[in-house]
Amino acid sequence: MRDRHQGTILFTAFLWLIGISVVIQLWLLAAALDALLAGHREVPVSAAIASLVLFLVNGGLLIFVLSFDRRIRRADDAKRK
Amino acid sequence: MSIDAKSEPAAEPVVGPEPARCPFHRWAEDFPIEWEADHYVTRRELTKFLTLGSGLLVGTTAAVAVVGLVAKPRSFPERKVASASAVAPGGSLLFRYPTDEDPCILLRDAEGELHAYSQVCTHLSCAVVHRPDDQVLFCPCHHGFFSDREGTVVAGPPTRRLPRITLELRGDDVFAKGVEV
Repeated sequence: MRDRHQGTILFTAFLWLIGISVVIQLWLLAAALDALLAGHREVPVSAAIASLVLFLVNGGLLIFVLSFDRRIRRADDAKRK
Repeated sequence: MSIDAKSEPAAEPVVGPEPARCPFHRWAEDFPIEWEADHYVTRRELTKFLTLGSGLLVGTTAAVAVVGLVAKPRSFPERKVASASAVAPGGSLLFRYPTDEDPCILLRDAEGELHAYSQVCTHLSCAVVHRPDDQVLFCPCHHGFFSDREGTVVAGPPTRRLPRITLELRGDDVFAKGVEV
C-alpha cells in the first residue's frame, strides 16, 4: 500500500507535467495553423518538431509509469504467494 | 460497611442494539475499494489517455506542416478592377478578386497611393471598412484595426494581416494580379 501511495503521488506529478505538455502542444497546433494561413510555411515544421519533442518526453514518462506499475503488481503477487 | 469497588461483581455486559455505525460503513462493505487504490488506477489510466492525446496532437501538427510544404503556390488571374480616376484621395471602392466570392477593397491614401486588400477580417471574417481620417481599415464586429498602407494589424483581436492584392496600373486602368497573404 505504501508503494501505491507513492505511485499515486508520482502519477499526480506526471499527470501535471503531461497535462501542461498537452496544453503547449495544443497551442503549437493553433500557431501552426495560423502560420500556414498567413503563408509562413516553415513555422508549422518547427511547431511539429517541438510537438514531437514534447510527445517523446510524455512517452518517456508513460514508460516510467508503466514500469513502476509492473513493479508494484509483481510485489503484490509476491505478497499473495 | 465501606463500599469497595474491587469487591463488587463485574457488571454484566449490556446486551442491546449495536452502537450506531458510520453511515458510510455500509458503503464500504458494498464497495470494498480503497480510495488509494482507486486514485492509483484512475491516474494511471489518465496518464495513458493524455499521452495518447499528445501523440494525436503531434500527428495533426505534422499533417499541417506537410500540407504547408506540399501545397503549391496558387496562381491568380489578371483582372481589371477599376479606373484609377474613380478613386479619390481618401476614397475607397469595393471589388471582388480572385473569384466573385472574395470581396476586396481598393483605396487611395492621402498621398495618392493606391492599395488593395481583402475585405475579409482575419479575425472572424467580418467586412472591414476604410477610415481615411485614422489611416486604418476598421472591422466593426470586434474593433480590429489594420493599417491602410500595409494591411498589418494595428490594434484589436486579429493576429494576421489582411491579404494584400497586388496591383498594376496601366494608364487609367487598375489591374489585380495576385494575392499576398
